[in-house]
Amino acid sequence: MSRRSDLARYLASRLALAPLMLWLIASLVFLLLRVAPGDPIDALLGTRAPEAARAALRAQLGLDRPLSEQYGRFLGHLLQGDLGQSLTNGEPVTRLIQDSLPASLELGVVALLLAAMVGLAVGFSGIGRPEGRLDLAGRLYGIGTYALPPFWAAMVVQLVFAVWLGWLPVGGRFPATLMPPQGTGFYLLDSLRAGDWQQLGGSLRHLVLPAATLGLLLSGIFTNALRLNLRRALGSDYVEAARSRGLSERRVVLHHALPNALLPVLTITGITVASLIGGALLIEVTFSWPGIAFRLQEAIAQRDYPLVQGIVVVVAALVVLVSVLVDLVVALLDPRIRF
Amino acid sequence: MATRLASLLLALPLLAACQPTRSGQSLIVATKSRIDSLDPVQASRIGVMQVLSGLGDPLYAIDGNGRLEPRLATALPVLSGDGRRARIPLRQGVLFHDGTRFDAAAMAFSLRRFMAIGTLGYQLSERVESVQVIAPYEIELVLKRPFTPLPRLLSAIVLTPVSPTAYQRHRDKPLNDRFVGTGPYALAFFGGQQQRLTPWPRYWGRRPANAGIDLVTLSNSTALFGALRSGEVDLLLNSGLEIDHQQALHRDAAAGRLREAIGPAQGIALVSLLSDQPPLNRTVLRQAVARSLDRATIVRRVTLGLRSPQRQLIPPDLLGSDPSAWPPYDPAGARVLYRQAGYCQGKVLTLPLTYRSDIPTDRLFALTWQAQLRRDLGDCVTLEVTGMEATTAYSQLDKGALTMLFYDWVGDYPDAENFLMPLLSCSKAEGDRCLKGNSVQGGSFWTAPGLEAELQRSSQVDGSDRTALLVAIQRRVAAANPYLPVWLSAQAAWGGLGVSQPRFDGSGRVMLGELRRLPAASGARRP
Repeated sequence: MSRRSDLARYLASRLALAPLMLWLIASLVFLLLRVAPGDPIDALLGTRAPEAARAALRAQLGLDRPLSEQYGRFLGHLLQGDLGQSLTNGEPVTRLIQDSLPASLELGVVALLLAAMVGLAVGFSGIGRPEGRLDLAGRLYGIGTYALPPFWAAMVVQLVFAVWLGWLPVGGRFPATLMPPQGTGFYLLDSLRAGDWQQLGGSLRHLVLPAATLGLLLSGIFTNALRLNLRRALGSDYVEAARSRGLSERRVVLHHALPNALLPVLTITGITVASLIGGALLIEVTFSWPGIAFRLQEAIAQRDYPLVQGIVVVVAALVVLVSVLVDLVVALLDPRIRF
Repeated sequence: MATRLASLLLALPLLAACQPTRSGQSLIVATKSRIDSLDPVQASRIGVMQVLSGLGDPLYAIDGNGRLEPRLATALPVLSGDGRRARIPLRQGVLFHDGTRFDAAAMAFSLRRFMAIGTLGYQLSERVESVQVIAPYEIELVLKRPFTPLPRLLSAIVLTPVSPTAYQRHRDKPLNDRFVGTGPYALAFFGGQQQRLTPWPRYWGRRPANAGIDLVTLSNSTALFGALRSGEVDLLLNSGLEIDHQQALHRDAAAGRLREAIGPAQGIALVSLLSDQPPLNRTVLRQAVARSLDRATIVRRVTLGLRSPQRQLIPPDLLGSDPSAWPPYDPAGARVLYRQAGYCQGKVLTLPLTYRSDIPTDRLFALTWQAQLRRDLGDCVTLEVTGMEATTAYSQLDKGALTMLFYDWVGDYPDAENFLMPLLSCSKAEGDRCLKGNSVQGGSFWTAPGLEAELQRSSQVDGSDRTALLVAIQRRVAAANPYLPVWLSAQAAWGGLGVSQPRFDGSGRVMLGELRRLPAASGARRP
C-alpha cells in the first residue's frame, strides 16, 4: 500500500475516533461536575436565600431534574451543536466561548511566534562553538525560562513595566477609553481590517506584556529542543558526508542539519499550540486577559455546568484537530514517518 | 542578540507613548467583579450593584447620613390601617433611556419581573403578595404581612425600574448586555471586562459632574493596585483587593498621596457554631468560645487595623444596634466555662474550624485565632483548622457538616432585619434545634422558643418599640452564641489626586455622578 493511502487511512481513523473521544470527555466532565461538592445555587447565593427560594432557582435552572434527564438533554443538545446556556447569566455558551476564545488564540499565536523566534535564535546562536560561552548562556536561558514559575514571572514583568515604569498597561485587553474593534474577536486583525491605528495601538499595548511573558517562558522549550537536535544532527553521518564533499560549514548547517533538527521542533510546536488553545491560565489571570482559560476558571468557581462542559468540549475538539494537523504536516515533511 | 534585545526594550517606551488620550473628562473606575449581566434580575454581586447605581434609580435612596430620601417615589409609602397595603406615589416627568415615560405601569412591570425571575427575587416575593397600578403615577404593594422596613427594602438598587418597551421580549428572561433605565448615566458600551456609561442628557435629576465613566475589570489584587499606582485608573473599589494592598493605599491616603473614601459598614465577618451536635450543642461551651476570641489582636494582625472589631450581628449605624451584645475577650471567664464543661484539667477540647480557602484573609484569621488560643487557653481548647473552597463550604453548611465556619454576611439593604432574619429565622423547630429555615442555611441550626415570633414582630413595629425588640433579640442570641461576630467591614474606594474626593451613599455605593477630574492636580496622580 502506498504511503499516501497509509496516511489517509491514519487520518480517517483519527477523525473517526474524535467523536468517541469527545463524547467520553463530555460525559466525564458532566459527571465530575455533578460529583464535585457545591452547586450553582451555592455559588450564586452563598448562604443567602431561604430554602424555598433556593429550590425555586434550582428548578428555574433545571437542576432539580434527575441526573439522567439532565445528561440526556445535554447530549441531545450537544449533537445539535447546542452547548446550552450559562447558568450565571443565561447567555448561550457558544457566544461566551466566541467572546473568549479569540482572546486566548490571539495571545497564544503572538506568544508562540515570539517564543519560536527568540527560542530558535538563542538555540541556534551557540551552535558555532559547542560548550562555548554563547552555548552555555543558551543552555542556561533554556532551563531558566522553562523553570520560571509563570505567575511569578508575570507579576514581576507587570510590576516593572506597568507599575514602576508605567510604560504599558497593567492588564486587560483593550484601553477602557476606546471602543473595542468589532468583527472576528481578534483585535489586532479587526483593527487592521478597520484601518484604525488607534485601536491597533491600544490592542498592541495591552498585548505586549502578556504575550512577551508567555513567549519568553515558552521560548526555553524551543531553545533546548533546537540545541539538542541540531547537535545530534551535526554529529550524524549524512552531515559528515556533506562536510567530506567539501561543502561550507554554513551550507552544511543551514541546508543539511537544520531542516532535520527542526522536524522534532515542529512536533513540539504542535503540542505547545494544542496546550495554548486551552489558554494560559496563570498569564490570563495575572494580566486580566479575558481568555478561555480565565473564563473556564470562573465557570468552575461558579459551578456553571453548561459553560464548563462547553469550553472543555470545544477545547478538546480543537486540540484533536490541531494534533491531527501537526501529524499531517510532519508526515508530509518527513518521508521516514510510517503509520 | 544583545542589540536586538536592547532595541526591543527601547521599543516599549515608544509603544507607551501611543497611549490613547482620555476622552474629555470621563473617568476610569476599576473593580475586580466581572460583570456578566447588567439586568437587575441577574444582579447579586457588589460590582454589578455599583454600576446599576449609576444607570438606574431606586424608589428610595439612603444618603450618606443614613437618612431615607425618595428618588423615583415622591414620598414615603402610605400604609393602610392593617399595614398590609403600601401606596407609593411616583415621580412624574421621568424618562427611560429609550425615551419612553416612567410611570406606575413601568414600575409595576419591573417589580413583577424581578419577583418572577430575579436571582434575589425572593427578597420581594417573600414579603409582597402583589403589585397593583392604582393611578398613572401611583402603585400599591399588597404585603403578605406588615413590614416596616419596606422603604429600606425598596432602596435596593436591584429594584430599579427598566423600560417595559425595551424589555418587552425579555419579561421572562434576562437582558444581559443592555440596560434601559432612568438613571443619570446611559449604557454606551457593554463588554464583560469593560462598560462605558455616558451622562443621560434628559435625566430628571442632577446631571453628573463628569463626562462619563469607563468601568474596567481587573482580575487580581496586584493588577488593581498597580493600575491605581501607575495612574492607569482614576478610582479603585476595594472589593477583591487584598488586605496588604488596602493597607498600602490607606497609608498613601493618610500621607495625602491619594484620596480615600470609606462607605457605611455593611458586612459582618462571623463564625457559625453548629449548635445541634456535640460538642457545641452545649451552651456553656458556646459561651466559652464567645469569650475566647481576642478581636483586637485578630483585627490588628489579620486586617491590619482596617476593620473594626464587632460584638453584634447588626452594623452599628443601623436601628437596633447594640455594640456590646456579645461578651468581650475574657480568657479567665472562658477558662471557668471550659472547666465547667469538664475541660482544662488535662482534657483539651478540639474544635474544627473551617475557613474559605479562596479568601486569603479567612486563612489568616483561622491561623491567628488558632495561635491566640494556643497562647491563652492552650490547656483548654485547640482549633483544628481546615480550608475549603467557599462554594463547597456553603453546600456543606446546611448539612450540619461544619462545626465552625468563618464567613461573612453582607446585607442587601441597610436594615437590621436584613442581618438578623437571614441568620436566625427558623420555620420549623424542635426546642432549641432549628430543623428548617435560615438558621440551618447559616450553619448554626439554633433557635429558641418564641424567637421566630419576635423576629417577625421586629419587622412589623417601628420606632423605639422596634429598637428595644431588636436589642432584646440580639442579647438573647448573644447568650446562646450560635454565631460569633468577629469584625465589621465596609466598602472603600481610592482615587488619585486628579479626581475629586469620592463619597459613598448610605447603601454603600460610590456616588459616580459626583466624581470629577481636577485639572490643577492632573500632574500629581502617581503616588
